[in-house]
Amino acid sequence: MKQLFYILFFAASLNGMAQVETTFIFSKMDIEAQHILWDNTPTMLMGFTTTMGGSIDIPGPTLNYFEGDSVELKLRNMSQGASHTIHLHGLDVNQQNDGVPHLSFEVGHNETMSYFFKAPHPGTYLYHCHVTSALHVQAGMYGLLIVKPNTGINETWEGGFLYDSEYAWMTSELDLAWHEDSIINHPHDTTTMEVHLPDYNPDYFLVNGRSEQELNNENIAVNVTANEVVLLRLANIGYYGNTYHFPMHLNARIISSDGRPLPSIEFSDSLSIMPGERYQVLLQSTNELEAVIRVDYINLNTQTVENTQEISVLISGYFSVSENKYEAINIYPNPSLGKLHFSTEINEIELYDLNGRLLKTKVNANFIDITDLEKGSYLINLDGQIKKIIKK
Amino acid sequence: MTRAPLLIIVSIIGISNIFAATLEQSLYIISDSIQTVDSITVPYLSYNQTDSYTKDSPIINVNSGDTLKLWIYNHDSIGHGFTIKNLSDNYTIPAGDSVYLEQVFVEEGLYIYHDKEEYPKNTYLGLAGMIVVNEVNDHNFYWNIKEHNAEWNFNLTEGLTVDWENYDPKYFTINGNSNPHINADTLARITGTVGDTIYLNIANTGLSIHSMHFHGYHAEIIFSSLHPTHQGRIKDTFPVYPMETLRLKIVPHQAGEFPIHDHNLVAITGNNIYPNGMFTTILITP
Repeated sequence: MKQLFYILFFAASLNGMAQVETTFIFSKMDIEAQHILWDNTPTMLMGFTTTMGGSIDIPGPTLNYFEGDSVELKLRNMSQGASHTIHLHGLDVNQQNDGVPHLSFEVGHNETMSYFFKAPHPGTYLYHCHVTSALHVQAGMYGLLIVKPNTGINETWEGGFLYDSEYAWMTSELDLAWHEDSIINHPHDTTTMEVHLPDYNPDYFLVNGRSEQELNNENIAVNVTANEVVLLRLANIGYYGNTYHFPMHLNARIISSDGRPLPSIEFSDSLSIMPGERYQVLLQSTNELEAVIRVDYINLNTQTVENTQEISVLISGYFSVSENKYEAINIYPNPSLGKLHFSTEINEIELYDLNGRLLKTKVNANFIDITDLEKGSYLINLDGQIKKIIKK
Repeated sequence: MTRAPLLIIVSIIGISNIFAATLEQSLYIISDSIQTVDSITVPYLSYNQTDSYTKDSPIINVNSGDTLKLWIYNHDSIGHGFTIKNLSDNYTIPAGDSVYLEQVFVEEGLYIYHDKEEYPKNTYLGLAGMIVVNEVNDHNFYWNIKEHNAEWNFNLTEGLTVDWENYDPKYFTINGNSNPHINADTLARITGTVGDTIYLNIANTGLSIHSMHFHGYHAEIIFSSLHPTHQGRIKDTFPVYPMETLRLKIVPHQAGEFPIHDHNLVAITGNNIYPNGMFTTILITP
């Protein structure tokens, strides 16, 4: 069923691919503390919504595009106060559309203006307001922007890694003092950019605007089956650093950052992501598993961990034979001197050394020749299923 | 005609020996002051090329194979030191005294020289600069990035203690300047034309992690002292850890003026005033 879902999803999506996309977004500000945090504390936000009457949430709506789309992003400012912009973080758009007030344009209250760009390299990006950015970002004016390849299948980029499911996690912090009416509702003087801000001492540590038990939310907690390849899209818009700790059995592979593939993928159980960075990580467990991914929040001045949030991971059951494209693959002989044979034909074969360097690739084959490799251990990726092999 | 290829090969093989040189440099440790973006004068230290004080410790350029002969004079009233991180021994220099050292630079890279006596005190107070090994073209820019807490500078120079474990800087600088003054520094403000190959040499001589974000362009990591395996990564945001260096290559594909700034947006402030921190712009002409 899951496979069928993805096929149907992409068949539907294909109709909208690589064309002119118009997105409407509103910038708003709460008139009272109405956003409820995990411990029932209310706070005021500035933020983005997709409808005029919609409540502000953090992060703002995720903007999804396909590679090559020509996009018109319309911003209507309904904030009753400060001007706003949309900075398209990482998209390398031209100066006019970069969303930096004194270098392009800002959108005043009750104005509507458009940003034009072409969706670039597939990957995970951000958008945020760049007016008094330290305050407006903390206030909640940020969201994810995702560009997918224009190929109609679940792959990270054209010719990249296949995956079955994906999760996008955007980390940030929230300091209640910055959300007091006297701070967030700052006087906006177009003749000066200077604004006085409080010290930064965050009270809440967020993943997709949620913390603590809220992270069991079905859109955040990982709930998949064994052998599924999971793509994590990770972005940090906070003012602290993050370190992710992945359980060893998830076989984390770090494959790209800031919208570009890494020259060599990195196998690691931890990953640090500093403010403004994005990473994409593949997870795949061959076993059933119940665990957590820990996210540390690091004060960048003292390099101390100030908080840790936990995201639950439940790997349960296996794809049934009819659903599982990653049926059990036997490799023989292993160890081998020459050819490694597979029990079924593999669409994509990738062979890596233990440092993550890609050594060989092959497509549509039921064997690969490793005669020329040095003696030792290697990792082989067979349509997303990773196994260890040994060259004698 | 037939000998030409042989001559070329000989020249290439011998290139490092032909150009290896011995360079001489003097550095003077002087205690004086730095002015914050809001015009507060605070105590500061620097290495200087002459016995006249400037707030910027000099950038020293060498080529791989070169020998650097260094005389370091301590003109301060207290003892200091000198070391090249990950490269040289540590030298202590009593007040009014001097040391002489020679250092051969074998590998290309970007190194921090600093005073690690009573670390991090003297480095924090300004005694840190960079050595660039193998500049490869004319389009090089240099960022010595760090942070400051003015009250701590006064306390430290008066012999008082500070709580390093609760470091809380208020000013954020590139080459000692904050926005809007960074763009007036021709070593820091990146300029060029579309298609140029531009190198940015960054040394974080502070105590905080800085996460530098480029608008408009991605850049390639050419050298990373902390993460050598990150060489070749193409990104728009670059964490620079304390006492680590990074060299980036930028080939601008479009003209324009775009910000580059710390994406810890608190570091764009100066004494809590936005946008008086680590914020500059890159200016690329068609």
